[in-house]
Amino acid sequence: MNTLPLVLYAAAGVAYAIHFARRDPAVGRAATTLLLFGALVHTFVIGMQTMEVRHVPFANPSRAVSTFVWLLTLSYLYLELTTDERSMGVFILPVVVVLQTIPAIYPGVEYADPVLDSPWFGVHVSSLLFAYASFGLAGMLGVTYMLQFKEIKKKHLGYFYTRLPSLQILDVMNSRAVAVGWLFLTIGVIVGVVWTAQARAVAPNDPNLQAMSLDDPKIFVALLTWAVYSFAVFARRRLGWTGRRAARLSALGFAFAMLNFLAINYFVTTSHTFY
Amino acid sequence: MYFFLLGVSHRTAPVDLRERLDFSSRDLGAAVEAVSARPSMAESVVLSTCNRSEIYVASTDPARARDELVSFLSDYHHVPPQAFQPHLFALENSAAVAHLFRVAAGLDSLVVGEPQILGQVKDAFQSAVDKRCVGPVLSNVFRWSFGVGKRVRTETALGEGAVSVSFAAVALARKIFGRLQGRRVLVVGAGEISSLTAQHLRSQGVGDIVITSRTHAHAEALAAEVGGMAVPWDGMIQALASSDIVLTATGSPRPIITRMQLEAVQGRRRSSPLFIIDVAVPRDVEPAVGDIEQVFLYNIDDLQTIVQENLSRRAAEVEHAESIVNEEVTKFMAWQRSRGAVPTVVALRQRFEAIRRAELQRLEGKLGTLPPDARARVDEITRLIVEKLLLEPTEQLKALPDEETQAAYTEAVNRLFKLHDPVGSEESRPSSSESSPGERRGR
Repeated sequence: MNTLPLVLYAAAGVAYAIHFARRDPAVGRAATTLLLFGALVHTFVIGMQTMEVRHVPFANPSRAVSTFVWLLTLSYLYLELTTDERSMGVFILPVVVVLQTIPAIYPGVEYADPVLDSPWFGVHVSSLLFAYASFGLAGMLGVTYMLQFKEIKKKHLGYFYTRLPSLQILDVMNSRAVAVGWLFLTIGVIVGVVWTAQARAVAPNDPNLQAMSLDDPKIFVALLTWAVYSFAVFARRRLGWTGRRAARLSALGFAFAMLNFLAINYFVTTSHTFY
Repeated sequence: MYFFLLGVSHRTAPVDLRERLDFSSRDLGAAVEAVSARPSMAESVVLSTCNRSEIYVASTDPARARDELVSFLSDYHHVPPQAFQPHLFALENSAAVAHLFRVAAGLDSLVVGEPQILGQVKDAFQSAVDKRCVGPVLSNVFRWSFGVGKRVRTETALGEGAVSVSFAAVALARKIFGRLQGRRVLVVGAGEISSLTAQHLRSQGVGDIVITSRTHAHAEALAAEVGGMAVPWDGMIQALASSDIVLTATGSPRPIITRMQLEAVQGRRRSSPLFIIDVAVPRDVEPAVGDIEQVFLYNIDDLQTIVQENLSRRAAEVEHAESIVNEEVTKFMAWQRSRGAVPTVVALRQRFEAIRRAELQRLEGKLGTLPPDARARVDEITRLIVEKLLLEPTEQLKALPDEETQAAYTEAVNRLFKLHDPVGSEESRPSSSESSPGERRGR
């Protein structure tokens, strides 16, 4: 079920790459159309799964990845359509395609664990997924900033110089994406803490809930990620860490977020295994 | 009807002669009206820029029209013909079409790929349309040339990259700051190049321009010229702290901005990006300044390197652009020929249709006994036969390779089928559906 969006995303990715290399506006429009179509199909898939389990599918890691990819694609489309700037698609689509491969290969089964029958659960996970999608955009903007910065600073105006938007635009968009992501990350973490306390009262013997502590790698790295982005938000406003420093921080933060979301989620954590 | 052009350009005439034959500084509409008042001009457009004065004409008598144009140029500009005749160039039909397409594409410009020329071609055409000096011939070829200019710009990198130092500086500023609206500029040293770059930045909508110079009067003079504000020389560092773009062009033998000075103000600037353009020789800004995190330092050599790279990149695109122009000329000429075949095709069809009707009429007595639906079928079948017979000849007539062949075929078809109408002349051609009501039809 997740294969069709994957195929469309991959096709869009190829079109974005050709558009980036050749700067042919017709190819660019084709890329956007493919991506819009992919997002539409993906929306349908997620809608079906939501009807099936009666909450947005994200308790199982694969389904969460699928939902994350969906949010990332929508956020990117929002960025592209509001800025009329297609050159960043070539950086975000590889992330989209690689991540979407996971749910396409391991669809995962979503169990209706009664512990999850709480509105807090929905708020917790959707906030965090949305935060990750924002961080994904910010990280991608950070990478493009560094590429553009390097060419201008070293006075080798080459491949990226002509294709990427100005440093100012990249920096401002990065700043917004980090701020939005940080806000949702904060909400997601706070709601998670509140909900854990409530759930423990309902189901004291649930092994997942017992494992909810700072010793759990998922929770620990989540707080580390929060610390990185909190610093990024603070440093930009108070220490003048804009530009390349901010770009590096957002790339680092996204690396932590992905480490947590993928490696730790699948293989290490004991606290978030509702499947 | 012949399409041709006569003119001077930077390739054929020295600048003083081009200045004497220039139309752009005067009223272009009046000039094109004066041209078309000459008896053998059916249609005319005057294109005049600092690098060219060209008159495009459609006429049935090109030899006479040419003489009239020479006397027009002489009368209008008060220049004796012998002064400019050796520098004139004249092109006809497909060569003239190719020239116009190359001009619109920026291939014939002094700086290859410069962006203004397409707009100038459009303006020239529009003022001729306004004065009702344009008919179907020029209308078609000019409209086609706009498409060619646009196609070359989107499909090649011919117009990409700045090709002067001040443009290169502004292009860089835009890649660093995005929109330049509200950006503060500090100009240190008031010389020719400072003035040029400052004016260029002003036209991009920058905010305040602050100017300082060792000689305060120079700063004030430049400030008045570009609409800036002069500050005393010892206020430079202060001004630096609140600037986004700094342009230095003093004659100082030693650097006037050092890394230490700038690091001291970067804190006050909250490390926002600073773009320093140092066009002075010897340099005004210590090279180590470029190592500071958010500072982008470009000296005159860096900018000239960019300009050189851009020029060679444009040169590499010329071939591609030329091939697009050639392709479009071929397409346009073929299209025009196919239009030239239209009167013959129409006459041929009318002839066949007349024969068909006459035969049906003749057989009326025998057909009269048939039931109505059978009669309708006979009508239908005869019509289809005529259609089928004419299909291939029509295609062939429209696709003839050149005008001579077309004339020969037209003549042959006329004789073979006794087409009464003297086809192939302008008068019998259907008027262009594309020409707007304001345009004059070919005489």
